[in-house]
Amino acid sequence: MRTIVWLLAAAFLALLTIVLSQKGALDPLRNLALTVVSPLERGVGNAAEPVADLLDRVAERQDLEEENRQLRQQIEELRAEIAGLREQQALSQGLQELLAVQEGRPDDRFLIARVIAKDPSNLKERIAIDRGRDDGVAEGMVVMSAGNSLVGVVSSALDDFAWVTLITDPNSSVNAMVMESRTQGIISGTLHDGLRMELLPQEAEVQPGSTVATSGLGGNFPDALLIGEVVSVQGSPQDIFKKAEVEPTANLSRLENVLVLTSFQPARLDHTP
Amino acid sequence: MRYLFLGPLAMTVALLQVAAAPYFPLMDATANPLLVLLMCWAMVRGPRETMVLIPLVAMFKDLITNDPVGVSVLALLPVVPLAAVRERHLTQSEFVPTVVVVAVASLCYHLVYMVVLTSLGEDVPWLQSPRGVLLPAALLDAVLTPLFYLPLRWVTTLEESRARLRVVG
Repeated sequence: MRTIVWLLAAAFLALLTIVLSQKGALDPLRNLALTVVSPLERGVGNAAEPVADLLDRVAERQDLEEENRQLRQQIEELRAEIAGLREQQALSQGLQELLAVQEGRPDDRFLIARVIAKDPSNLKERIAIDRGRDDGVAEGMVVMSAGNSLVGVVSSALDDFAWVTLITDPNSSVNAMVMESRTQGIISGTLHDGLRMELLPQEAEVQPGSTVATSGLGGNFPDALLIGEVVSVQGSPQDIFKKAEVEPTANLSRLENVLVLTSFQPARLDHTP
Repeated sequence: MRYLFLGPLAMTVALLQVAAAPYFPLMDATANPLLVLLMCWAMVRGPRETMVLIPLVAMFKDLITNDPVGVSVLALLPVVPLAAVRERHLTQSEFVPTVVVVAVASLCYHLVYMVVLTSLGEDVPWLQSPRGVLLPAALLDAVLTPLFYLPLRWVTTLEESRARLRVVG
């Protein structure tokens, strides 16, 4: 009997906090928790990443020797490159990346953010960044990788942190265009399987290797923002539309720094009072 | 006194889960060490202690993730009724039932989690979930069980034998 009472009480408490958190009443508490925990979280993440890499390498043992040789060569090349780059030490790597992106988008303003956590859920593809409302980040803002390709959208902004829904999240959909044929479609996230481009007209010429970028339609994303590359095209002749599997350009599983596009006001932001 | 040990332990496991588990996916699923710890604890020592910890640790976990605060509490609640299996003594070994209930608890966790997300208007891939989430996660959590079960069993046995010695003394 006592267990049943406890179960009911715990369920009630959980439902109450879910409602409160949906209304944003627990955001200050979340912000505090992340402030306290994020250094630890980042430390653990930094420690886990090499271990995970090592395990990946063990799993790919047959390629290890060849990769090792290539890596040694790369190390030599990189050492030479580092020596050449010493003169430019004053500029941080993040700033250099920003400059490179800004050169490509001179009218836009960016905010560099560090990725501090990944959502551990099996059903979401989200990351936490160390910039929040106090830095000018707002929900709906577009997030890009240092390589100038689309990463996702800010889905919730706390005072000092923000959660970004990646384009591979099942909740994500982006109006996109195949650059070569100017064919428009919608890019959606799939669970663990990269991206899918849907609503492609049957007669459209879409080939594997084609480049996919944002179309700008709907006003939620700027246009011509690189998304990825078509891997395969599916659909039988009797279908009205065909689909394409798209490989994201940004390495979304290994993001360290991202750029929040603060100058672009997505259409959905304009609806907020 | 035991909560002074179990509380920080569970919080550490929750933090490790949030910070490190995403780096070690297996079949695209990530493990839920917190669930495995709580389920093993409930199976080895009974559900009373876990009843105190579930709300605290699950809330802590939700606060440092993007989940609605409270969803993990709901999703971890099945741990308590599932621990009733230990009273049935279905097999001589306690370990095999523990592995099985960990897998079942993992399935329950994800199902509750998906129901809550759906009810909050999130797009949950239900059709893909059995192959993409439910089964891999249950398998991964079951594989993790010895990591938590064996030390817990050892500590509990040690504690019980000390208590017996005290009674005899």
